[in-house]
Amino acid sequence: MSIGLLTYSSLQAYLIVSFLLFTVGLSIALLRRNFLVQFMGIELMLNAANLALLAFAKWRGGDVSGTVFYFLIIAVAACEAAVGLALIIGLFRHRRSTDTDGANSLRQ
Amino acid sequence: MFLAFALVTLGGAFALLIQRNAVQAGLCMMLSFFGMAGLFLLLANPVAAALQIIVYSGAITVLVLFVVMLLQSHREEPAEHPRYIQKAISAILVIVLALGAVKLVYSSETLANMQAVSPVPDPITLQKLGEQLFSEHLVALEAMGLLLLAAMVAAVILIKKEA
Repeated sequence: MSIGLLTYSSLQAYLIVSFLLFTVGLSIALLRRNFLVQFMGIELMLNAANLALLAFAKWRGGDVSGTVFYFLIIAVAACEAAVGLALIIGLFRHRRSTDTDGANSLRQ
Repeated sequence: MFLAFALVTLGGAFALLIQRNAVQAGLCMMLSFFGMAGLFLLLANPVAAALQIIVYSGAITVLVLFVVMLLQSHREEPAEHPRYIQKAISAILVIVLALGAVKLVYSSETLANMQAVSPVPDPITLQKLGEQLFSEHLVALEAMGLLLLAAMVAAVILIKKEA
């Protein structure tokens, strides 16, 4: 059943790709220890949410609101990228490392 | 086509998970974003596909790779304490979450009904998006502009060296 559904594009197939992408992003954020790679995992999770949103919008008869929300989400993601990377650079200045294990204190 | 784009997306994401080099991980992320742009095209949404390539594959990937090269942190440092138990627990949790989600999607009758009644929609155009954005969601658009400005100022202040 699952193989048959995945060979053509159905709402379920898109949702499954979205869920799997989310879990891969989550496992990157949990298992890797480099700040920058974890950041990429978070971007993947945001994208998985976008994919589910646009898939539902299509199966609601091509709802434009889905694309509007997608637009707002990528604007927020761009803000998050700018501030997040600035924080990573700030942390690197203090600790000389982008390892999350070492960043266990808010003080110097 | 769907299967090809889905495989590119998930394969890029999985390569990002197992890739040791941060620069190559960034390129895997770019591949995954390109696959997702293809999926958006299949969803009759060329506007989202173009935005995905411009913003994610272009801007965000370049920003992340720039920071990786700036900080010279290509390789993950060896761990002081290899936390095997925590890693095993998170891996198991993630796998359970993935299997649970897949099972939920296939067993849901609401989704099957939604799937059954849908007609083939017209593609989303920039005109439709603009009309919707500047009429119903005008406040959200303005708030987004303010948020982008605030994020830019915050990034500059965070980066600035203390005088």
